[in-house]
Amino acid sequence: MKIAESMTLTPERGFQEYEIDCTEAELQLDLKEDCELFVRITKASALKIKARLNEGIRASVLFWNDSKDPLVANESYEVGDYGDLTVAYGECNDASTKRKTDILLKGKESRAMLSSASLVNTNKEYRMDLENSGVRSIGNIRNYAVVLKNGKLMIDAIGKINKGAKKAQSHQTSRALAFEEGQNATILPELLIDENDVQASHAMSIGKVNESHLYYMMSRGLDMKQCTMLISEGYLLPITDYISDEKLRSALKDELERKIEGSCLM
Amino acid sequence: MKNLMIKDLHVSAEDKEIIKGIDLEIEEGSSHVLMGPNGNGKSTLLAAIMGDPRFTVTQGSITYDGKDILSMPVNERSIAGIFLGMQYPQEIPGVTNSDFLRAAMNVRRERPVSLFEFIKSMDKAIADMRLSEDLAHRFLNEGFSGGEKKRNEIIQMEMLKPSLAMLDEIDSGLDVDAIKLVADAINRIREESNMSLIIVSHYERFLEYVRPEFTHVLVDGKIVVSGGRDLYEKVDSEGYDWIYKEYGIEPRFEAKNNERVSIGTCAVKDTLKGDMF
Repeated sequence: MKIAESMTLTPERGFQEYEIDCTEAELQLDLKEDCELFVRITKASALKIKARLNEGIRASVLFWNDSKDPLVANESYEVGDYGDLTVAYGECNDASTKRKTDILLKGKESRAMLSSASLVNTNKEYRMDLENSGVRSIGNIRNYAVVLKNGKLMIDAIGKINKGAKKAQSHQTSRALAFEEGQNATILPELLIDENDVQASHAMSIGKVNESHLYYMMSRGLDMKQCTMLISEGYLLPITDYISDEKLRSALKDELERKIEGSCLM
Repeated sequence: MKNLMIKDLHVSAEDKEIIKGIDLEIEEGSSHVLMGPNGNGKSTLLAAIMGDPRFTVTQGSITYDGKDILSMPVNERSIAGIFLGMQYPQEIPGVTNSDFLRAAMNVRRERPVSLFEFIKSMDKAIADMRLSEDLAHRFLNEGFSGGEKKRNEIIQMEMLKPSLAMLDEIDSGLDVDAIKLVADAINRIREESNMSLIIVSHYERFLEYVRPEFTHVLVDGKIVVSGGRDLYEKVDSEGYDWIYKEYGIEPRFEAKNNERVSIGTCAVKDTLKGDMF
């Protein structure tokens, strides 16, 4: 289904596919049924999304950026009691992206996973705010990126636990493989915690392929490019796991593999 | 003949010489064990043959099948038929065992291995090592126990079919049953092919199963004595002291005496005292 410039969507139960193909789009998402959404962005320069996940609903949205034009996106999500939301981004196109994502875990025992996979050969800039207000709410951020020669990645990922969100959890992992000397990848993981009884963690790595890993893989006959490709696939392909439809998942995997193979990884 | 010829080999790590002149010939199809106290160069020798970037060959030559392997990158040495089962196999998250092995098989074949053939041979290799089927889909060595990692090295060896296998303490971390499994796999491959073998091992039980024909004892970066099976049996029962005596040599012990670093602190204290009085 194509999405027009401004509309309110109330997806039905199950798997739904959408396409955003207009310069400016403003989307209101009312998630009232358990659903899995795949949103292909074929063209959009300004995208606004406001979404609300109702009580006890489980929903996932994978945004697949195919746009040839630079994209500026502003998205905000609110998760009700016992809701379980996944927002994932496949960012492997050749145009720049500037995105701000806010997720508020408002309800008790609400959960959210905010995940991205980026093959970066231009500017990609993400600001992610995942805020826990609900008791026992769990927030997860996972960013995986392969930064190519002319790419520039900037991720500002903030996990915030508000006062009163007892036993809340905020976790994040960000990893970027970079092939250039110097900083063309910046990841700022932040945890802002205003409650005592919580769990929080972050893990981050930026850099070239580990030399010992490379030696081990090469000792089995793979050259440098093949090693880097396998590792890059390991970084990026898991984003397709958010799609349970097998045909679409394997098509997306093929698309990613082709892009990784076609890019200059050295 | 696919022989490995090592001549006057000197190897350094961070400007410290570890291998101090080794000559060794491994004839195609022969089997050898390297013995010697820890920290005297056994692993370094194998690593230098494979091309481990942590080590630098400063002198001498290594040829395999007549080709100068020191001028080859690591992957080409592997394609030439050399395999190193590592003492500490790396964990590589994100890369599955099966993707990795399939890619490694394909680089040494003209036509890529069919998915069916690959799965069949991988399942067999995994079953031979009594590991669970899901190993193929797990990330390369990630979260594996020490023993699982070692068995995974043998799975890779079985599937890549090297002509020269070097196994660096493959038996450490394995229990008694697994040692037998690994030894059986090595023996089976050697019966089926003409694979040459160099192993580093301290365990008599493992050596009893594999029964290498030649023994070399490395002390302080040199092969001080070579012999047949009787030599590893003698080392096994009597240790190395008789070798040190007979050849008038001293082993190099690993620098594990960290406590002695405190000498520096004492010296500083002494100096201070000197200044004060």
